[in-house]
Amino acid sequence: MAVNEKNILNRLYFVAGCMFIFGLAVVFKLMSIQFIQGDKYKALASQRVVKDVIIPPNRGNVYSANGNLLATSIPKYEVRLDAVTPKVSTFEKYLKPLSDSLSNYLGKPSSYYQKSIRKARANKNRYFFLAKNLGYSDYLRFKSFPMLRLGAFKGGFIDEQTTKREHPMGGVAERTIGYERIDEDGNVTRPGLDGAYGIKYLRGVAGKRAKQQIGKGQWKPILDYNQVEPQDGYDIYTTIDVNIQDIAHHALLKQLELYEAEHGCVVVMEVETGEVRAISNLGRTKKGKYYEKLNYAVGESHEPGSTFKVMALIAALEDKVIDTSTIVDTQKGRKRFYGRYINDSKHGGYGKISAARALEVSSNIGLATIIDDNYSENPKKFLDRLDEWKLNQTLGIPIIGEGQPNIPKPGDAIWSKNALPSMAYGYNLKLTPLQTLAFYNAIANKGELIRPRFLRSVKEFDVEIETFDKDIIVKKICSDKTLSEVKEILKNIVVRGTGERMYSKTFSMAGKTGTARTGYANYEEWKKEKKYVSSFAGYFPADNPKYSCIVVVHEPSTKVGYYGADVSGPVFKKIAQKIYTDTPLIDEVEVLDVQSESVNNEFEAYFEIAQTYKTVMPNVIGLPVMDAIALLENIQVKLKIKLDGNGIVRKQSINKNVKLKNNQEVVLSAS
Amino acid sequence: MLRETNRHFKFDWTTIILFLLLVSFGYLNILSASHSGSSVNYFNLSQPYGKQLVFIFFTFGLIIILLSIDTKFYERFSSIIYIISILSLIGLFIFGKNVNGATSWYGIGGLTIQPSEFAKTGTALAVAKHISDLNTDIKNLKDQIQTFIIILIPALLIILQNDTGSTLVYVAFFFVLYREGLPQIYLTLGIIAIVIAVSSLKFGSVVASIIIIITITVYYFLNKKRPPILQSIFILIICIGLSFIVNFFYKSVIPPHQKDRMNLWLRLEKDPIKLERMKKTFAYNLNESEKAISSGGVTGKGFMEGTRTTGKFVPEQHTDYIFSTVGEEWGFLGSAFVVITFVLLLLRILHLAELQKSQFSRVYGYGVAGIIFMHFLINIGMVMGLIPTIGIPLPLFSYGGSGLWAFTILLFIFVKLDSNRINEW
Repeated sequence: MAVNEKNILNRLYFVAGCMFIFGLAVVFKLMSIQFIQGDKYKALASQRVVKDVIIPPNRGNVYSANGNLLATSIPKYEVRLDAVTPKVSTFEKYLKPLSDSLSNYLGKPSSYYQKSIRKARANKNRYFFLAKNLGYSDYLRFKSFPMLRLGAFKGGFIDEQTTKREHPMGGVAERTIGYERIDEDGNVTRPGLDGAYGIKYLRGVAGKRAKQQIGKGQWKPILDYNQVEPQDGYDIYTTIDVNIQDIAHHALLKQLELYEAEHGCVVVMEVETGEVRAISNLGRTKKGKYYEKLNYAVGESHEPGSTFKVMALIAALEDKVIDTSTIVDTQKGRKRFYGRYINDSKHGGYGKISAARALEVSSNIGLATIIDDNYSENPKKFLDRLDEWKLNQTLGIPIIGEGQPNIPKPGDAIWSKNALPSMAYGYNLKLTPLQTLAFYNAIANKGELIRPRFLRSVKEFDVEIETFDKDIIVKKICSDKTLSEVKEILKNIVVRGTGERMYSKTFSMAGKTGTARTGYANYEEWKKEKKYVSSFAGYFPADNPKYSCIVVVHEPSTKVGYYGADVSGPVFKKIAQKIYTDTPLIDEVEVLDVQSESVNNEFEAYFEIAQTYKTVMPNVIGLPVMDAIALLENIQVKLKIKLDGNGIVRKQSINKNVKLKNNQEVVLSAS
Repeated sequence: MLRETNRHFKFDWTTIILFLLLVSFGYLNILSASHSGSSVNYFNLSQPYGKQLVFIFFTFGLIIILLSIDTKFYERFSSIIYIISILSLIGLFIFGKNVNGATSWYGIGGLTIQPSEFAKTGTALAVAKHISDLNTDIKNLKDQIQTFIIILIPALLIILQNDTGSTLVYVAFFFVLYREGLPQIYLTLGIIAIVIAVSSLKFGSVVASIIIIITITVYYFLNKKRPPILQSIFILIICIGLSFIVNFFYKSVIPPHQKDRMNLWLRLEKDPIKLERMKKTFAYNLNESEKAISSGGVTGKGFMEGTRTTGKFVPEQHTDYIFSTVGEEWGFLGSAFVVITFVLLLLRILHLAELQKSQFSRVYGYGVAGIIFMHFLINIGMVMGLIPTIGIPLPLFSYGGSGLWAFTILLFIFVKLDSNRINEW
C-alpha cells in the first residue's frame, strides 16, 4: 500500500467533504423550500386542507292554487367507481357480479362493463362514470350492487348528490313559475315567480360546515355540528289553477301553430280577487315549435290597438263629453286628420253611427273623431284620465322585467297633433297585455282596478308565513252608469260587433277585439310583409263576470288570418267554454248542462255501436282502449280480451262484423 | 471484574447513540405518517407503526447477537456471506415476489424480505476482504478489475430486478476504492463523464460538443507541457462521442417513465400540459412532499399534528417519503436535526475507519459510510427534488424490517470491528 500519508488525508477529506457538502446542500434546499418558497406552498397547502363546505338548503316548492306541485327540487345522484381502491381479491371476486348488475340495469352486455371497468383499473381511473340523474330508489339500488355495497373504501363507491329543479307540469307556465339558473360565469337568470320570490322565500339560507381534507377528494367534518344550520326555503302557493292553465296553454298553442305566429300570450285572471289563474307565454323556435320563451304578458309593452278604444270611450263617457248615443260621422271609411288619413277596416265605411256602435264595430275613425273633437283643445284632460287609471305606470308586480308603458304627453318628442286621434284607437302609446287585462278586469269588477296577483301565500310546511290579499290600485275607475254602458257594449261586440264570429248560444262573453299593425316604422317594408298583433281582451260570463282574460298573438301569418276575432278570439272562447264546462266552480246551474261537443260526439258513437253489435265483432279501431274494452265486455258473448299497448286502438285481431263465439280471444293493438 | 465489564462495553457509544436517535425519531415519524383515526394502538400489527415497533424490538436482539460474535468471524466468513447474498439475489428470479414493479422480495408467510438490502453488507465485507488481502494492490489493473467484478455482480443482479435505487447505492464503493488508492484518473473520468452526460441532456449534444471543443482547446494551449496533439484529439472525439451516445441512449433506450423523471429534474419539459400531467402522476409525490415540508415552517406543526401527513397527502410517506413528515411536523429544526445527525454519523464512521489498524476494518468502515451516504443522498435528494425520483428508503428511518435490520447488521458489524480496535488498546 504505497500511498503516502498526505495523499491519504486528502482523499479522506475529499470523501468526508462530499458528504458534508451534500449535507449543506440539503440544509440549503430545506431553507429554500421552507422559507423562500414557503409562503407559496403554505398558501397552497392551507387553501386545500380546510374549507367551509356550503350546505345548500332545500329550495321551497311552488304550488298551484289547488295544491298541485308546479316546481320542486329533487335530489339526483351521480354514481361513479373508484376502480383502483378495491383490493385485487375483491375486484376479481365482484367484477363479474357487478357487471351483471350494471348490465341488468343499464342495458349494455355484462362483458362490456367487465372490459371497461378492467380498463379503468389499468388506467388507474379513480372516477369511473357509471350513471347519473338517478332518483333516490335507483341510487339505493346501485348502492346495493356487488362490490359497490362494500362502500367507498373497500368497494370504491363514489356518489354525488345534486339537486335538480323539476317542473312536474312540464313546460306549462314555466316562464311564470320561473327558475334560477346560474351559468359558468356566475350570471344568474331568474325569470318569473322564482325571480320575484326566489331570494326572499324559496331559496332559504345556506348552511356552513368546516371540513378538513383527509385524503384525495375526501373531506371530513371538523366539528360534530354545522357552524351554520341550513334553513330550507319556504314553499310558495301561487294563484295558478292548473286546469285553467292547461286549457289556456293548449288553446294558445293550438292557435299559434295554426297561424304560425311569432309569439303569443294569454292571461286569465279572477275578476274579484285579481288572482292570475293562468298565464301562458309561447314563443316560436326556428323549427316552428313553441315553448315558454319569454314572459310576453308581463314584459312586452306594445301598441295595444283597438282594445284601447274601450279606455278612450270610457274617458269620453266619464267626462260626459259624449253619450253612448252620440252620433259620429265615420264617413266612407276614410277620414283626414291633420294631413293624415285614418281608415276603417270596412270598405265604404260605417257612415253615421252612434258612439256605442263605433266601438262595437271598432271604427278607428269613430273613436278618433270622438276624442279629437272633444280633447284636441285640451289633450291634458284626456291624458289625466289615463293617469288616473295609472296606465302610464307599471303595475308594480314583483316579477322582474315588467314592461314599461309609454303614454306620450304634449311636449314629448313623439307628440304631434295626430297623437291624440291615434291614441283613441290604440296607437302611439304602449301598454303591456297585463295592464290592458287589469283594466278590463276593473270593468268587470264594478270599477275596482286591482293589481294582478300571482301569489296566495308563503308557507313553511303548513304554517303560513305570509299571505297576499287583494291589492287595489284604483278604487273606482268610473261611475256605475258608464260601467254599465260599457259592459253592454262589450257584450254586444261578441253578439253583433267585431267579435260576432265568436258568439256562442250556450255561454256569454264580453270583450273587445284588437288588430294592430306592428313594425310599420318603415311602411314600404311593412307593406311587403304585413305584421299584426291580434288581441282579444274581455271577461266572462258577460253579466256576472268571474274571469277576465286577454289573448295577444303577435305576427300571425297573414295568409291564414290576422283579425283579433279570428286569431285571438277563439283562444278566448275556448278558455271561456272549457272553464264553463270543466270547472265546477261556476255556480250557474244552466251551464252545468252544457256538454262539450266532442265528449258528446264520442258518447254517441259509443252508444250507437253498443246498440248495433250484440254478437258480432264491432269496429273498435280508432276508439280509446277504455271504450273499446267497455264495448267488448258488454257484448252478449263472453270474450277474452288481450291488450297490446295503450291509447287508441290501431288494430283488432277479429275483423268487423265477424260472428263471435264464447271465450274467443280478441287482441287489440293500441298505441 | 471491572476490567472485564469495560472490555465488553468498549463500543463506540457515539455511533450507537446516533443510531438510536435515528431509529427512535424514525419510529415517531412512521407513527405519525401511518396512523389513522384518533386512537393509536401502538401494538396494532396490521399497521406499519405497530410492525415497526416489533422490528425495532427484534433489532435489539440482533444487535446483541452481532456484538457477541467474534470479530474474526466477519473477516473469515466474508466470502461465504457474500456468496450467500449473491445466491439469494439469484433466487429472486425464481421465487421472487413482485411488489410495485420490482421483483426484489421473498415472501415468507406474512413477512417479506428484501435480499438486496442484505447484499450490500455482503458486498462491503467482500470488498473489504479482497482489498485487505496482502496480495491485492488496488493500483493494479487486474486487482481493480477483480474488485469491480465483486461490486458489479450484485449491482447487475439488482438492476435486473428493476430496482434502480438499490443499484445506485453500489456507487458507494467508489468512495472506498478511492480512499484505498484507486488512481485519480477514475475520479477525473467519472466527473467528466457525469458533466458531459448532464450537459448533453440539458443543452443538447451540439451545444455540449462545442463546450467540449472549447474546453479541450483552451486546456491544450494553456497547459505548459502541451500534451501530445493526437491524444488530445482522441480525447476530444471520445468526449463528443459520449455526448451523442448519451443522447441516443436517452432518446431511444431509456424507458419513457424514467425519461420523464429525467425531463422533470433537468427542467427539460416545456409543454405545460404535459408538465401538469407529470405533476399529477409521478411528480405528484415530489410536489406533495415539497408542500408538506414547506408547510412545516421553522418549528413544524407538532407531532401528529401535520395535516398533510395525517391526511395522507404524500403517498409512500412512511417509507421513501418519511423525510417530508419530519419537514412538516418538526419543521426546519427537525429536518436540520436529522440531516446533522446523519452527517455526524457518517463523519463519525469515517473518523473511526481512519483509526482502524486493520485494513479490513477500515475498508469495511468506508463501505458502511459510503452505503449510508448514498442512501441518504438519493433519498433526501429525491424528497426535496435535488435529484430525479428514485425510490429508496432513508436508512434507519424509513418503515421496513428488511431495511432496518440490514442497516443494523451493516453498522453493528462495524461497531464490533471497531470495538476490537478499542479492546486491543
